[in-house]
Amino acid sequence: MKKKLLSVLLATSMVMSMAGCGNSNSQPAASNDNAAETQTQAAETEAAPQTEAASEAQTADAAGGDAVTLKWAIWDKESTPYWQALVDAYKEVAPNVTIEMVDLGSTDYMTVLATELSGEGSDFDVVTIKDVPGYATLVQKNAILPLDDYISADGIDLSKYAGTTDQVTVDGSLYELPFRNDFWVLFYNKDLFDAKGVAYPTNDMTFDEYDALARELTDTTFGSQVYGAHYHTWRSAVQLFAVLDGKHTILDGDYEFMKPYYEMVLNQEKDGVCRKYTDLKAEGLHYSAAFSNGDVAMMNMGSWYVATLIASLQSGEYDADLCGNWGMVKYPHAEGVEPGSTLGTITGLSVTSATDTPDEAWNFVKWVSGEEGAAVMAATGNFPAIMTDEAMDLITGLDGFPTDDASKEAMNVSNLYLEVPYAENVSEINSALDSYHGSIMSGEMTIDEGIAAMNEAVQAIKN
Amino acid sequence: MAKGLSRQKKRDLVAYSFIAPNFIGFAVFTLVPIVFAFALAFFNWDGSNPITFAGLSNFKQLTGDVFFKAALKNTIIYCVGTVPLTMIASLALAIVLNQKVVGRGIFRTLSFFPYVASLVAVTSVWKMLFHPSKGPINNILYTVFHVPMEQLPQWFTGGLVLVSMILFSVWKYMGYYMVIYLAGLQGISAELYEAASLDGANTWQKFQYITWPQLRSTTFFVVVMLTINCFKVYDIAIMLAGGGSGELTISSTVLVYYIYQKAFIDWKLGYSSAVAMVLFLMVFVVTMIQFRGQKKYQ
Repeated sequence: MKKKLLSVLLATSMVMSMAGCGNSNSQPAASNDNAAETQTQAAETEAAPQTEAASEAQTADAAGGDAVTLKWAIWDKESTPYWQALVDAYKEVAPNVTIEMVDLGSTDYMTVLATELSGEGSDFDVVTIKDVPGYATLVQKNAILPLDDYISADGIDLSKYAGTTDQVTVDGSLYELPFRNDFWVLFYNKDLFDAKGVAYPTNDMTFDEYDALARELTDTTFGSQVYGAHYHTWRSAVQLFAVLDGKHTILDGDYEFMKPYYEMVLNQEKDGVCRKYTDLKAEGLHYSAAFSNGDVAMMNMGSWYVATLIASLQSGEYDADLCGNWGMVKYPHAEGVEPGSTLGTITGLSVTSATDTPDEAWNFVKWVSGEEGAAVMAATGNFPAIMTDEAMDLITGLDGFPTDDASKEAMNVSNLYLEVPYAENVSEINSALDSYHGSIMSGEMTIDEGIAAMNEAVQAIKN
Repeated sequence: MAKGLSRQKKRDLVAYSFIAPNFIGFAVFTLVPIVFAFALAFFNWDGSNPITFAGLSNFKQLTGDVFFKAALKNTIIYCVGTVPLTMIASLALAIVLNQKVVGRGIFRTLSFFPYVASLVAVTSVWKMLFHPSKGPINNILYTVFHVPMEQLPQWFTGGLVLVSMILFSVWKYMGYYMVIYLAGLQGISAELYEAASLDGANTWQKFQYITWPQLRSTTFFVVVMLTINCFKVYDIAIMLAGGGSGELTISSTVLVYYIYQKAFIDWKLGYSSAVAMVLFLMVFVVTMIQFRGQKKYQ
């Protein structure tokens, strides 16, 4: 008898402990002081109605509504300063709203988020959108709400977002509002130009001029190597030069137009102008390590690198003797195209379909993506989606931002093309292009073979 | 309360209660999902919108899918290369380390070490060793064997990437199978070898007529485990050939990676299940053949 009871107990406890494993998804992320704050506040608001219901209700009204907690999905809370800054600033505007951040990590953020929002039981109210393929997934899953009614009711002027919102509009509806907008520029190391006695790059360079300049700066002498250019292993860093002429998009299905750019970069590789793709892949060299090493003269990269460069130079992580004297200019442009066209990456906010408080969630989204949020973003050295003059001054005025006029002028973008605009099968198209980019760059396929394979794969996906 | 139960029933209940925790866990987290995945292969589903019946369309689509075909081909090549090589390497190691050699314990430990070491750490070391321009292997080829710079092998791309994966896998897992073979070898009675010696058998004959037949059940186990593990390859491909945007190219993609990509990047759960079914069928057929072969000998 006793034995049996014991075994039943044992069995139950083991089953219970196993069941516990499956249900602890959102807990670990809440292990910071912010969450503790949230809990105590939640406890207070719950206790309130029982004790001093009347007076509490009055103060809540005075503060602009009932106390609400919004759960917000983000990544890399510790290393990204603006999340907390936004939350703190919003606390002043809407004291009744508590924002609880949940950090899903940056590596596979959109995959984790899509999993969290699949099926029932999600308790996120606001989610950050990291890339367009992930956005497309969430839209197709009906996991996020269309914001059109809110946008028209609140009279949001979408023209402030420099045309980016058009590129993520789905069947006439917009499901996210960008709050951060990074664009690609050409970073360069002034010391290397000075050493060679070569004039700095300008804001108006054709690709031929850029190629010639990169070659001029290259030094292949062993021990004192200088790479005229550096291309990170991402598809965007090479392939997307081609879409800047405004005639083609990445969703075309016919990628013949990319050929000249692949030729340029692969020829540079062959002549030692830039590091080899296969080397970069084998050693997993990060672009920031490449540039801060002081042997890269020019590197095309997103404007997010501005904040990293400034912060890392100030903290002493980067050696100022190697890369401290940096500048930036606009992307090179194709012959006959106006300078200032570049690639953009937007980071947006969406309201989930599962939220119980869509209005409060929208208010937060609106605020972060609006001009007040933009000021907070700019103060941390990041590029807000709405580039007001005030935000521009904040960034260019940062201690450590290059003082030359060309670098400031580089911030004026004329045309911004998203790395990928919205399309129904954008995630699959993205995967296929990524894969064949690797094949071309590593020499597994010739440029023609790779482009033919891309055409075939993307046309098959589109049909 | 249990007065009405017979002794046998009581024993059964106790036994069941011991099995229950594991079985309930297995049923909820493994059995049900597996059955569900079988069914899902005939449907289209993205995890959120309603499921729609797709019939055989997912399987039809597979026949025209370049990435699927590449993944299938690469997985098969990888298995055909890895299984016999690992088996031979581990058996040879086990036989050598079963002799009374000095430092036997140390050598056994050293051979087992790659299996214990973290995959992520050792792939990094391999990538340094085989680095296309700075790695010692290619430097030796360049300086000692005078292979021209442009012709130095690219170990992690193109045709060679599968060779690298196979070599890596053999090196990493031979220690584990060596231990299994060692156990098998120690189960062979010394009398058999003594009798063979008296009859004048040489070393090769001893291996051919005593060691190999006596190890048959061990070999069976090793081959089945190796085959199943090889078909499941994913981590080695990602760690050795991934990078850049993280995508595997046509020359290095494998089935499990493709299943993951289709399911959790593209959210085509039905299509992904269809790929998984193909993988399952392959493992199933190969294992059945092995079981048949094993039975015939007994």
